[in-house]
Amino acid sequence: MASAAAPNGVASSEYDLMLKLAQHLDRHMIFPLLEFNAGQLVDEESGNVKDEVKAREIMQAKYSLLKKTNMTDYVANLYCDMEGLEEPPAEFADRKQKVFSQLQKYEQETSKIIELLERDDVVNNLRSDKVANLEYLKREHEVTMDMVNALFDLGNLQYSCGNYADASEMLYRFRVLSTDNDKVAFATWGRLACEILTMNWESAMEELQKVREVIDSKLSQNPLAQLQHRTALTHWALFPLFNFEKAREPILELFFNAGYINTIQANCPWILRYLAVAVITNRGRAKNIGVHQKQMKDIVRIVKQEAYEYQDPVTRFVHALCVDFDFEEAQRQLVLAEEVLRGDFFLLAHADDFVDSARHLIFESYCKIHARISLKDLSARLGLDADAAEKWIVNLIRDTRLDAKIDYKGGTVVMNHPPSSVYQQVIEKTKGGFFRTQVLSAAVAK
Amino acid sequence: MSRFFRAGDDSSSESSTDEEELYSASEEEEEQEEQESSEEEEEEEESSDDEAGPAKKGLSRFLVDQAESESEESEEEGTTKVKSAKDKRFDELEATITAIQNGQKINDWGSIANEFDKLNRQVVKLQDGGKAPKSYIKCIAELEDSLNETLAKQKVTPKKMNATAARGLNAVKQRIKKNSKDYQSQIDAFRNDRDAFMESDEEVAPAPKPTKVRFHEAPLADEAAEDEDKGFARVDKRGKAIPFSPESIQKHLRAIVESRGRKNTDRNEQIRIMEELNKVAETPYLKIRVLQTLVSTRFDLGVGTATSMPLEHWKAAEKELSALVSLLEAHKDHVVIENAEEWDDDDKTPVLGSDDKYIKIPGSVVSYIERLDDELVRSLQNIDPHTSEYIERLSDEASLYTIILRGLLYYETIQKDASLEIPQESLNRIIQRRLDHVYFKPGQVVKILEENAWKQVSSGIDSAITSRDLSGDAEQLIQTLCNYLFNNSEGIIRARAMLCQIYFLALHNEYYRARDMMLTSHLQENIANFDVATQILYNRTLVQVGLCAFRRGLVYDAQNTLQDICGSGRQKELLAQGVMMQRFNQVSPEQERLEKQRQLPFHMHINLELLECVYLTCSMLLEIPLLAQIGSSPDIKKRVISKTYRRMLEYHERQIFTGPPENTRDHVMQASKALAAGEWKKATHFIHSIKIWDLMPSAEDIKAMLAKQIQEEGLRTYLFTYAPFYDTLAIETLSTMFELDPVKVSAVVSKMISHEELAAALDQVTNTVIFRKGVELSRLQSLALALSDKASALIETNERTLEVRTQGSANAFTRKDGRGGGQRGGGQRGGGRGGARTGGNPQRQAGGTQFTGGALGAAVRG
Repeated sequence: MASAAAPNGVASSEYDLMLKLAQHLDRHMIFPLLEFNAGQLVDEESGNVKDEVKAREIMQAKYSLLKKTNMTDYVANLYCDMEGLEEPPAEFADRKQKVFSQLQKYEQETSKIIELLERDDVVNNLRSDKVANLEYLKREHEVTMDMVNALFDLGNLQYSCGNYADASEMLYRFRVLSTDNDKVAFATWGRLACEILTMNWESAMEELQKVREVIDSKLSQNPLAQLQHRTALTHWALFPLFNFEKAREPILELFFNAGYINTIQANCPWILRYLAVAVITNRGRAKNIGVHQKQMKDIVRIVKQEAYEYQDPVTRFVHALCVDFDFEEAQRQLVLAEEVLRGDFFLLAHADDFVDSARHLIFESYCKIHARISLKDLSARLGLDADAAEKWIVNLIRDTRLDAKIDYKGGTVVMNHPPSSVYQQVIEKTKGGFFRTQVLSAAVAK
Repeated sequence: MSRFFRAGDDSSSESSTDEEELYSASEEEEEQEEQESSEEEEEEEESSDDEAGPAKKGLSRFLVDQAESESEESEEEGTTKVKSAKDKRFDELEATITAIQNGQKINDWGSIANEFDKLNRQVVKLQDGGKAPKSYIKCIAELEDSLNETLAKQKVTPKKMNATAARGLNAVKQRIKKNSKDYQSQIDAFRNDRDAFMESDEEVAPAPKPTKVRFHEAPLADEAAEDEDKGFARVDKRGKAIPFSPESIQKHLRAIVESRGRKNTDRNEQIRIMEELNKVAETPYLKIRVLQTLVSTRFDLGVGTATSMPLEHWKAAEKELSALVSLLEAHKDHVVIENAEEWDDDDKTPVLGSDDKYIKIPGSVVSYIERLDDELVRSLQNIDPHTSEYIERLSDEASLYTIILRGLLYYETIQKDASLEIPQESLNRIIQRRLDHVYFKPGQVVKILEENAWKQVSSGIDSAITSRDLSGDAEQLIQTLCNYLFNNSEGIIRARAMLCQIYFLALHNEYYRARDMMLTSHLQENIANFDVATQILYNRTLVQVGLCAFRRGLVYDAQNTLQDICGSGRQKELLAQGVMMQRFNQVSPEQERLEKQRQLPFHMHINLELLECVYLTCSMLLEIPLLAQIGSSPDIKKRVISKTYRRMLEYHERQIFTGPPENTRDHVMQASKALAAGEWKKATHFIHSIKIWDLMPSAEDIKAMLAKQIQEEGLRTYLFTYAPFYDTLAIETLSTMFELDPVKVSAVVSKMISHEELAAALDQVTNTVIFRKGVELSRLQSLALALSDKASALIETNERTLEVRTQGSANAFTRKDGRGGGQRGGGQRGGGRGGARTGGNPQRQAGGTQFTGGALGAAVRG
């Protein structure tokens, strides 16, 4: 499709994941990505397009992307823009007419059932048992299976027209009534897409959870389909992951789940970039430091394992910092990583956050290893000037209650690493024992 | 009285027919003799007992005995009176026949055998005109039927006959075959229409007789010339070269096929006959038939597991197979397939009917090819690999490969026609054979092999599975073959295909691809269910992956992969590269023979010495720093990476005087000692002076890689060993000592500090390592630590036990496993969960299965 242009030089374009991501995203989801790429081409101050050729390419991509959807008006406009026409050719009008009539047809077919579902007396009679519900509707209101399926088709069509909210509603209704498991699974995917595109993150998360369950339960006999579905879900989940604060923890948990981490490693290692960024930026936010540490450890392990298959500045940063302990290299990669982040649709908003957290990370492991650090050197490593670095460190020491002091005269930071006491270690090791045994005995008793 | 009546009847009929038959019978018989072998086998079993039963039921056993005794007496005197003697003989004959029939009823084969002998003796005398009495014919025909029936029954029911009966049965079986050839035409006539046959003589019906005779006459005239040949052909069996004619081919073949498996058949003679036959065979059908039989007879020469078939016969078989394939290529309307019907008529060859597309010939090309392949392997097993003979023999592999390729092409062409119902399995088998010949070879060799093979194939033919263009690219070829098998087969062939591909990838330094395939195949879980040959292939593949990891400098992965095979001390056995001397348990000759059979030919071997060298070197690089780190802590026994290596090291240390190293093992041991003492240069020298590295491709790179590894591990060992004696150490000093870049030194030190292996910190200002004091544990403290470790291990074990018990039902016990990086079993447990520990786990070896303690563990931490 489109090769994205990088505003800050060539570096980030070679790390652009557009092509790879696009394979696993829905048509409609690729669109915002393309929009973003087009947006990057526009010079912020002047509003001029910097690279005409690239812009045209993106436009072309957009067109071919949406050609197959039913968003006829938009496509027609796009076509006019592209060809420099005033009036869209007749074929678009035809298509529009066709879509419109189809829409009407489905609406007619579904009008009855929708009306029924809006009536309180009907809704109140519905129970949790789908078969019984259908039976009831059939008996009382002459609802047929075809009508229910028409809901699905209407939802599909509306989604294709870009009418996501309505589509979502239709699919929801369909799911309530339908007993066809396959179609329900499709409807769930469809709803997830709708919620993502309408940026309705809360319900998107609900749908995500549902899709996950479906994948885990229904497809357990078919490893290949499971892998493919998981890959798609991983990609779709990127939308809420970086746009919705509350989605972070559950999605990270999802990604680190054995099945998904294997999927990422086997099928789409580029997700590691997002995963690494998410974990690193999550450091201040995580409620549970233990979980964060574990995630950090996992990501380091996986980045190391996958280094032969996938590398970009973000993973290289992790590798340099946590595997090789090469702080200079880490610093270099951080600069590159920042560029990459600024050119990435998902990560743009998190670039500053990431740089900040990454600095923390560098400092943390630096402190862990060193007993005395020269301030000047440190400031260089962190990419700050001496005064700012000093201020930054003071803040850091205060925030994290690090056992460190600044020796102003010598221009150094002095760490104090108290050796952990043996008794403390024994206590740590045996701490969970009682609780675990209890859980165990409860499980035996079950 | 009835005796007389009957006898009279018989005799009159005989006499009436005698003259008529006289002139024809003698010739006819000869012809029948030739025919017998073929027809006899194909005879459909007719149920004869219905006819035979009622007529004779009345006769008691007693009567039989009487008849017998009478016959014995009368034998001497019977010669004088012509007429009565003949009658008498008929009486005797009748009596014997009844006895036989009675014997049949009660399945008393012992007595039948006796009676049958007698019967034959008697009938010779009666057979003055060459035509045997009808009753005799009837009897032997029925006897044969009931014999077949009994044999069939015996196959089904496990119930054994008693010994005499069984012996009798066998005797009859052998004799009846020989015997009935003489009367074949009569038997046939009897079978065709038993009523008419019996009547014809009893009612003295002259009309049908002549016609019958004439019927036999007719073909006779045509075959007059042929009969002469046959007359010679029989002589020829006794060793005189006589011409063969195309018409007799089928009969010869049948005779040979029948004698197959019997004792005292001279196979060499048969082969000579068939070589002659091959020369005279004209039609493709006959040629194919001759070649088929010829090749299988040649294979019969190599019967027995120990001996292989003689070289010249192998070569000849190879030529003939290739001729066979060429024939099949040239004559597309002839196909050799497994599920074809046998052709029964020896006089005619099948011709293409109007609605048939093919002439189907039963047989299996793939089996011939497989057999040829096996024979080559067997002979290679028996030849001393260090002689030029071995190399000469090995050069035959090229021609074998050509045949395999052509066989494959043949199967591809016949598979295109769905009506032939070629089982997918045949194609799979032949592809598997092809794969077996290329997977262990370097790409260059495969390329040459392929090119030569394709040269033999006429240029018009191309393969749908592996097109001609692929021959230049070995990797692509292997991949295509393997993919084909993945898609079209299952079970063992599929597993083997996968292993072959992994082996090939590993051989060509594609470590990550090989490893990933190995892991995704999940073969390590169920390899124990496969047959031994596949297990051997698995072991070979595993070793090859390990060696590949080593070449890539991935010491940890290499050691881990090789551990299973090399750590066992049974490399030879596991790789089928030599029989192990069993010290303790006696091996039965049977087992030994099997073991010998499994051995791989020498050219497929993986160099065991090189393997050991790699394994020990890897173990050294991992074990020496570990030993230094553990020092004298109580859990010293727990953390052993390689038991074999440890044992050798201990043994080496026990020696009072150590001479200069002689073999690979000595070199590695001395290098270990030097490394432990921090003398990395000496260690490098020892390792580099191992000669066997030269066998590796790009040996210099490997040596350089090893030197680098030794430097690093030396540094680590040094730090572990001497840390207690220093307060501070300058990075500079370390860097000059180990000739490493200061950045590299600080990276190594940082890593150690970060993984809590070393209680130290870096001072950036003075560029030194500061060692912390007061971290050495007292005995009590370290014991307390060990105890707490054990306690948590106990809980973990409990959890796992419960998990096994409640498998699937309780989600609370799902475990989060990372993807195992080339190691099996939770080798390293992510035990570094608790707080800081001075002697913590070597986390640098992470990258494998991290056991996270499951959901319970998370609950505890949470």
